[in-house]
Amino acid sequence: MTDRIGEVIQVYTTRFLAQSDNLLNPPYFGSFVRAESQGMSIYGLVFNVYETSIDPNRRAMAFGIEREELLKQQPQIAEFLKVEFEAAVIGFNDAGRIRAYLPPFPPRIHSFVYPCSKQEVLDLTEDLEFIRSINSLPGLPVEELVAASIRLAYRERGSDRNFLVRAGQEIAQLLKDEYEKARSIIRRISDGR
Amino acid sequence: MVDRQKRIGKLISGSLLSGLEAKLSEDVNVEDISVGRLVVVDGKENKFFCLLKDVSLQATNEDILLNPPSDDFAKQVHAGINTFYKLSIQPMLVMPQNPMEDDRPRPSTTVPPHFSNVCEATEKDVSLIFGKPDKNSPEIGSPIFMDVPVCLNLEKFCKRSNAIFGKSGSGKSVLTRMVLGYLIKSDLAVNLIFDMHGEYGWSATNESTGIDDPSLRQLLGSKVAIFTVDGDSPLYRRVRPDYDVQIPYSAIEIADLELAAGELGLTQAGIETMYRMSDKWGEEKWLSRFLEMDTDDFPAVVEDLKVNEQALGKLHRCLIRLKKLPFIRKEVADDTVERIMGEIQAGRHIVFQFGRYNSMLAYILVANILTRRLHKLYIDKTDFARAEGIEGPKPLIITIEEAHKFLDPQVARQTTFGTIAREMRKYNMVLLLIDQRPSGIDDEVLSQVGTRIVGELGDERDINAVLTGLPNQGTLKILINNLEPRQFLLTGFALPMPVVIDAKNYSSFCDEVSIGSGIILDAVKQKKVFDDLNTKVYGDDQIIFD
Ligand SMILES: Nc1ncnc2c1ncn2[C@@H]1O[C@H](COP(=O)(O)OP(=O)(O)O)[C@@H](O)[C@H]1O
Ligand SMILES: [Mg+2]
Repeated sequence: MTDRIGEVIQVYTTRFLAQSDNLLNPPYFGSFVRAESQGMSIYGLVFNVYETSIDPNRRAMAFGIEREELLKQQPQIAEFLKVEFEAAVIGFNDAGRIRAYLPPFPPRIHSFVYPCSKQEVLDLTEDLEFIRSINSLPGLPVEELVAASIRLAYRERGSDRNFLVRAGQEIAQLLKDEYEKARSIIRRISDGR
Repeated sequence: MVDRQKRIGKLISGSLLSGLEAKLSEDVNVEDISVGRLVVVDGKENKFFCLLKDVSLQATNEDILLNPPSDDFAKQVHAGINTFYKLSIQPMLVMPQNPMEDDRPRPSTTVPPHFSNVCEATEKDVSLIFGKPDKNSPEIGSPIFMDVPVCLNLEKFCKRSNAIFGKSGSGKSVLTRMVLGYLIKSDLAVNLIFDMHGEYGWSATNESTGIDDPSLRQLLGSKVAIFTVDGDSPLYRRVRPDYDVQIPYSAIEIADLELAAGELGLTQAGIETMYRMSDKWGEEKWLSRFLEMDTDDFPAVVEDLKVNEQALGKLHRCLIRLKKLPFIRKEVADDTVERIMGEIQAGRHIVFQFGRYNSMLAYILVANILTRRLHKLYIDKTDFARAEGIEGPKPLIITIEEAHKFLDPQVARQTTFGTIAREMRKYNMVLLLIDQRPSGIDDEVLSQVGTRIVGELGDERDINAVLTGLPNQGTLKILINNLEPRQFLLTGFALPMPVVIDAKNYSSFCDEVSIGSGIILDAVKQKKVFDDLNTKVYGDDQIIFD
């Protein structure tokens, strides 16, 4: 498929790491992606994107030239850089039905990763269960991630205010005992309107 | 109104004793909810009819109160989760969901299960509870915010003493007129109305229009007889009273004067002096004899009765006020009480008016004297009827305004009115108390009142007084606090459950009970046409000239 954006290079039950296909169009933070593995689609929410040197023992160096200019002058530098992204697993497709919970196993290494279609985003976010999944995974920037993904799903819905309210209520409910956290997410999603 | 239930919340907690609590649905605007409404909780097998008694703001989280959401979106999102509205409702009656033919609502003895739906009562619910209007249970209003009749069961109403309370302007006279009109129409009892302010005879001034509304005589014709102590009053320009009555001095007892002690300015010493005179000169003669005396005669009296001359002079100055009441005479042509009794036996209802002599003094004396004698007559007749196994005298309802004057705790134990209120219906006689100061009425009397009709009351003490002896006082108190003019809380014997009503419009009452003399209907309609024209020409603004 032509719209491939990456390839899985490390997996856990709850998250996977993928290497981006190109340096120019890495996936957005908070976007929905799909890994195709063993005939199953496994959905993830991108929560970390980083660019690094390909050699784990060497860091990139500062050149003092604007990136665009630098790559023009020394195109080989791009060969030493890579973009990787991490996605939290939020669901999978089981015989045509989208399930908003963890699949029995993660995607396999070297599976390809694609961006989710609009329909997939709608289906994944319809019952808002993904917010709960994200909230329960350790080490995620939960507040930012939830807000970013909801803003995205809201735009995919043609700015449907009802959805935004529903999402807000889900957050308020889920974070009943963490009012400040809920409040900060709600402020972030209401800004996105 | 559509007869489909509108869900307004879900039951979350509570008890039968202290009332139930429900969470308001998020799609209901809290500002549309108001206390006093009838609501229905849909249990599994039963419907619970309840009164909405309170609405409160709730938060599940302290933090949200310290740091409230600022924009509308955030408020909306937290609503129902971190913040919600709680409805407090009091279960009153219960009825099976699928009632059998003869199932009637009965008092609830348990509560509906968790999360039962709480709905607004529908027309069907209301008519299930309060019945359909007919002659013996006429419509006297509708539950607030609803357009369904609430009927007063007159058969039950007649069986006890009742009361209509409300501060001035609350609409109690108009409501009383309607209740009396329906009572007269039903013929379930005979009415004797002590009409202190001249509102129950031919016509009554409507305070908002300034025009005279028809009153009982005009509406019900010869079913009503008017007695008056002031036959020359301008009140009777259009219709003559049926009886112009006088009271002989001999009919006045010391107890009557004691009741009016405040009005007469009597002291304890004066009262004792009266008893001395009565002992010496005779119960029936002392008063006229004393009033005929002047100061020259006092030394002899002082000598004779061994009383203080100053006290005697003072007493004389007090009692001489009776002479200003021309209907109190030494000799009178015929016996008013006999006449009243005759009318009662003939089934006519009596409005007793005072014309220009509507002072508290005249009112207290006359009402007390007549009622005492009637009561004696009734006791004799009832006892006689019992002994002979025949029908007793017709049940009589005596309506008294300013009821506290006759029933305050100091006097209620001695006055005939107090006795009647306490002995209930033993002698076929009950009271309808009309008062704006119920706190002045003896507790024991209040707790005997069968049906209470309570309008707007300003004073906390009055509110507490009308609740004397009632269950669910907390709930009822809230309801009373929220009453507006022409709204009444009805509670007690003649009603299956307490309810707050908007009183029926007086002109529809007139249309309904009028014996059909076209003139009256025309007058009412004419007035309406005139009013409409007025609004057309001048708009709704009222011009008030001070
Ligand atoms: N049910 C009613 N229908 C029409 N007008 C009413 C009604 N109740 C009260 N009013 C109006 O309010 C005024 C005051 O009512 P009223 O019964 O005389 O008050 P209260 O006796 O409590 O002082 C009346 O003159 C009338 O204009
Ligand atoms: Mg009045």
